Amino acid sequence: MSVTAERRLLLDPYVQIGFGAILVTVSELLLKKGAMSGALLPAGIRWLGVGALASGWTWIGIATYLMSFACWLYVLRNLPLSVAFPLINIVQVLVPLAAHQFLGEVISMRRWIGIGCVLCGTVLVARTAARMEDQA
Amino acid sequence: MSATAILLCLLCQLFLVGGQILLKRGMKATPIRIGSLAGGVALLAAWFFFWLGLLSQWDLSRLFPFEGLNPVLIVLGASLFLKERVPMTGWMGIVLISLGVALVSGS
Repeated sequence: MSVTAERRLLLDPYVQIGFGAILVTVSELLLKKGAMSGALLPAGIRWLGVGALASGWTWIGIATYLMSFACWLYVLRNLPLSVAFPLINIVQVLVPLAAHQFLGEVISMRRWIGIGCVLCGTVLVARTAARMEDQA
Repeated sequence: MSATAILLCLLCQLFLVGGQILLKRGMKATPIRIGSLAGGVALLAAWFFFWLGLLSQWDLSRLFPFEGLNPVLIVLGASLFLKERVPMTGWMGIVLISLGVALVSGS
């Protein structure tokens, strides 16, 4: 692949949605890790969650989240919101799958069905958008 | 769940919808409109804390249908306020995604 082709692929808004979704997933995992290894606050204010800021993982998680936001702004510049927002919901599939893979969390039957629905919907929305672009 | 609670949840999601529409407005323009972007970020921040507040009041399993509504609400907002055209197959996909999100986040 030539340099310009690689560059074009990187700047493709659909590829950027994928990047954004992966970055959000990574940040969620890091934030969970940070929340579990942060400072223990007194019982009365533990729900605030600020104890997690004592962990370096939390800060890497926040940085990753900010990068995903930059991806999202780039996507919004180039795609209709009615295409981009349904597609970014792929995060709802990636996060439980990653939590299953890396944190050993269990996925219930009902959740597997939900994951299947989101995947089918994502394919439908993406194909519709691609067909509209061909017509334009 | 009381009628007030349902209204609060819907109101909360409107912050998300408004925030995303403002972000899109800001990014769509050339040059990029910073005021619109800032308004979008402010609304999204308000949504985030509003949602956290609701989560602390009610179980996630009660709130998940509202989370699932988001894709539908956002696309409705985009077609109303941004004049985006959504074909029938697009709507079918969006409904599937909404249903899936509700199933995933509710269990």
